[in-house]
Amino acid sequence: MTDSLAIEAIGLHKRFADVHAVRGLDLQVGRGEVFGLLGPNGAGKTTTLEMLEGLVPADAGRIRILGMDWRDRGTAIRTRIGVQFQSTELDDKVKVREALEMFGSFYPRARSAAELLRLLHLEDKAEAYQRRLSGGQRQRLALGLALVNDPELVFLDEPTTGLDPQARQGLWELVRQLKNEGRTVLLTTHYMEEAEALCDRVGIMDRGQILRLGTPRELIAGLQQPSVAEIEFLGSAPDIGPFAARWGKAVEAKGAIWAVPLTDAKKDLQAVLVCIEVLNLPMQQLHVRRASLEDVFLQLTGRSLRD
Amino acid sequence: MNARIFLAQLKMGLILYTRIPSALFWIVAFPVVMLLGLGTVFGAKDDAGRKLVWEQAGPRSPADALLLTALAERGIVVDPVSPADAEARWRIGKLPAMLEGAEGHYRLRINGYLVGQAMQTEALVQEAFLVAQARAQGLADPARIPVTINSPGGHHGGPYAAYLLPGLIGLNLVMIGVFSTGIVDVTLRAKGGYKRLATTPLPRYVYLGAQLAVRIVVVLVAAALLLLVGAVTFGIFNQGSYASLLLVQMLGAACFISLGYLLASFAETPETYGGLANLTFLPLMLLSGVYFSLDAAPAWLQGLADLMPLTPLLRVLRAIFNDGASLASQWMGIGIVAAWTAVLFAMASRRFKWV
Repeated sequence: MTDSLAIEAIGLHKRFADVHAVRGLDLQVGRGEVFGLLGPNGAGKTTTLEMLEGLVPADAGRIRILGMDWRDRGTAIRTRIGVQFQSTELDDKVKVREALEMFGSFYPRARSAAELLRLLHLEDKAEAYQRRLSGGQRQRLALGLALVNDPELVFLDEPTTGLDPQARQGLWELVRQLKNEGRTVLLTTHYMEEAEALCDRVGIMDRGQILRLGTPRELIAGLQQPSVAEIEFLGSAPDIGPFAARWGKAVEAKGAIWAVPLTDAKKDLQAVLVCIEVLNLPMQQLHVRRASLEDVFLQLTGRSLRD
Repeated sequence: MNARIFLAQLKMGLILYTRIPSALFWIVAFPVVMLLGLGTVFGAKDDAGRKLVWEQAGPRSPADALLLTALAERGIVVDPVSPADAEARWRIGKLPAMLEGAEGHYRLRINGYLVGQAMQTEALVQEAFLVAQARAQGLADPARIPVTINSPGGHHGGPYAAYLLPGLIGLNLVMIGVFSTGIVDVTLRAKGGYKRLATTPLPRYVYLGAQLAVRIVVVLVAAALLLLVGAVTFGIFNQGSYASLLLVQMLGAACFISLGYLLASFAETPETYGGLANLTFLPLMLLSGVYFSLDAAPAWLQGLADLMPLTPLLRVLRAIFNDGASLASQWMGIGIVAAWTAVLFAMASRRFKWV
């Protein structure tokens, strides 16, 4: 156990009634790192987070946060971490500035509401009731509440779920800023592009376990099939059956697009084109792209993330 | 540090209260409306302008005239109608009492739905009839047993409002606990508000203490307003010590806020809580004698009511407010409420879940 770790968890287990939510999870997050826990709904991300945040006791295993144990240093840990939940849970009639000031009052040292409002670009909403905020503004406020004590370690639970692309970009900017300020960030998400855009390292979670750990680049490079051909058609996509039979390997229809994982782009691409030629398919476009974390998840679990 | 957090929470809680009109209405305005409304409706002087419908076919005889005079002396205004009209009016059901017949052969019909009102009229009509008979025989008016109207305690001739006011103060303590506290607790837990607070160093006892303080301040403000309206509108004043009144209110608030937290610990959603709260509140209220005395109820029901927390609380409040009683003289009622508070508080603390 070294103090260079912001989070250290060994052998965590959590069981709720008949659900074994987390089964033997190990995790180490270094200081200053942005770490992403990635996985579909029900993978155990939130439960893991709640154990790390000291909200839920683990059934087995041990946790150290900033070198301290929840059992004897709870208040000290709480003073130094910031937590953002999936949804804001404030009283409807609390104004933005009041919320920031109220949360600030819980800590021995707190940033001023004015500073946070500027950081969050919420200056013109300072006197608005929180229920009048848009989804993106609400998420920014929730992030602001997590930053009120100038925390060393920030937990973000699906910070951009339900946001439009523009609001999501805004939040990403804020997270990058946290990293630049030297804070450690642990975030959960089920958006692969979010993990790729923000995280130094990613842990892919499914059914209560971390299946694979590494930088997004390492995880993708470790794939059997590091690139993907995407085929688009004139009009709607034809039946994928004959193509799949002829191709003989995995292929996935995503709406109007077929995604064909390629082991060796140079050779496989020609084979794909031959299949299309022979079956006389009305192909309009063909792209080859680098595999994404989404493909990593698909290959690790055999399931798509959004199922 | 904790004192600072407490004060900040108290201030924020009070500000939030003022921003929720419905909460303010039920706790602050509603009791005042009840006091003004019920106090006025039931507080009217009984003997002023009571109306009696007299159904009569023929012309009035001297006996009728004597009765009419005697009735008028008792403040009864007679409304003569023809038999046909009388029947029609009686059917509508709004007449408490109707006098029929003439020349000593009278019959008084009493409306079964309005017995309370009609029986008072009946007593006056009977009295007028005795007087009229005596006068017809040239005798002196029969003597009456002298009556003085005298409410127990300091309110000599005090109106119904004086009975009602301490009841409304007590009822408010139940409202703030069962409705204003419990529902907030359930909602916050369901929305994850407590969870969010649990990740901060805010000590739980400071948070809960501030929640308690906010509610006590609100009830005390509401009570002060009630006392003011009572004094200005009905001329009723607290006959006892204000310190006693304050202490008993704090005890009641602690009792019912504990009850609110206890009920909240059994509900997962605000909807479930609504059902639980009404299930508890309605019997408490109906058995308590807030609006009327339970004197006429069966003995077992009264015995049961006496053991519930609200009935003794109201009795103590009334004793202080109307009779100027000391706390010591009310030890029994205070003891029952204190015992409830201890039990409810212990159970609520035991079952309280932060996350």
